[in-house]
Amino acid sequence: MITLENDRAARHTLSQPWWGATAFSVALIGLAVLWAGTDTRMVDAAKVWEKPLKFAVSFVVLFATMALVEPYFSAPWRNGRLFRGIAAMMTAAMLTEMIYMIFQAAQGQASHFNTATPFHAAMYAAMGVGAVTLVLGVALMGWAALRDQDATFGSGLRLGVGLGFIGSFVLTMITAGTMSSMAGHFIGTPAPGAAVIPLMGWSATVGDLRPAHFVALHAMQVLPLLGLWIDRRGFETRVIWLMAAVYALITLALFAQALLGIPVIRL
Amino acid sequence: MNPEQMFGLANLVALPGWAILALAPRRWPLLNMVPAIVIPLALSALYAGLMLSSFADASGGFGSLAEVRLLFSQDVMLLAGWVHYLAFDLIVGSLMAVRLDQMAISRLIQAPILITIFLFGPVGVLLTLLMRAALRVFRPQVSA
Repeated sequence: MITLENDRAARHTLSQPWWGATAFSVALIGLAVLWAGTDTRMVDAAKVWEKPLKFAVSFVVLFATMALVEPYFSAPWRNGRLFRGIAAMMTAAMLTEMIYMIFQAAQGQASHFNTATPFHAAMYAAMGVGAVTLVLGVALMGWAALRDQDATFGSGLRLGVGLGFIGSFVLTMITAGTMSSMAGHFIGTPAPGAAVIPLMGWSATVGDLRPAHFVALHAMQVLPLLGLWIDRRGFETRVIWLMAAVYALITLALFAQALLGIPVIRL
Repeated sequence: MNPEQMFGLANLVALPGWAILALAPRRWPLLNMVPAIVIPLALSALYAGLMLSSFADASGGFGSLAEVRLLFSQDVMLLAGWVHYLAFDLIVGSLMAVRLDQMAISRLIQAPILITIFLFGPVGVLLTLLMRAALRVFRPQVSA
């Protein structure tokens, strides 16, 4: 028992970079919530603090997922240069994104799609590099899950992490990559004050690429959870391939729907 | 030396402290003492001198915004107030850096938090304390 406890403590210590980044993102949620109580300015029909809040929530989910997956890997991988590098690169990318986003929101200005001056254009490009770095780190972790033969994943969870993480990268590059090559995330022009999906803020009247981007990103939670469920139930591991294919199809369908100018749900 | 020159000097004294705190390695105790003790001590001494020599004769006070505005309309008091900021922000920054080290937060994340304390004091403290609360939930056995 003592060995087990020590081992658990050691694993927690080793996954600290991920929990540290998670905790920082939690703190940013707190900051955004306080901000919400004091600022009524708008950017692009949203309150200025909404984007930092949404991204902080998103980063908590991202880094917590990394922190929860990491202890399954064998020690050589966990302590290796690759994992340290991934953690440092993803943390730096998150910091760049959040600092610029908060800086811009505090001035009542847009961060994404803002190319008003060379500085803003450069920062928008830097955010793109940061976003690619983030999903690339996720993909490398997924690849590592498939490679590390001494990892303690169940077979379903291993495949779920592998396909989910790599799939998240591929689908995000398709959806968000397309979005970043356009002037904004809408296909069509929503009327001022037009209906939006509650909480998410996606357009309920015109095409919006953000739902597809959202679903693409969260392959990295959904597929591992399905893998975990399959392990618990003792189902065939291969089912995950089918689930991954269906998930990708749903993402691409949402993507096509948005490109055709159709809202995810018409309200 | 007039208040404007002292202002410049005080800033010059405080800045290396922030540079050490945000960027320098933490393995040399003597170096850590510079932002934690040496510079705050120098700034505190300057503050004490300014207050002891000038506060009694200054008009205004701390009872209302109007009194504070009147107090800070006098350059020596404004300077003393600024030095107070510089000293306390650096002390708080050093204390938060110790906490962040105890929480095993990487220097990559520490740097923007410390710069936030430098520029917007309480916001950085808020971030540190919120992080500590979050870490207590995530990994109760490690966080101090």
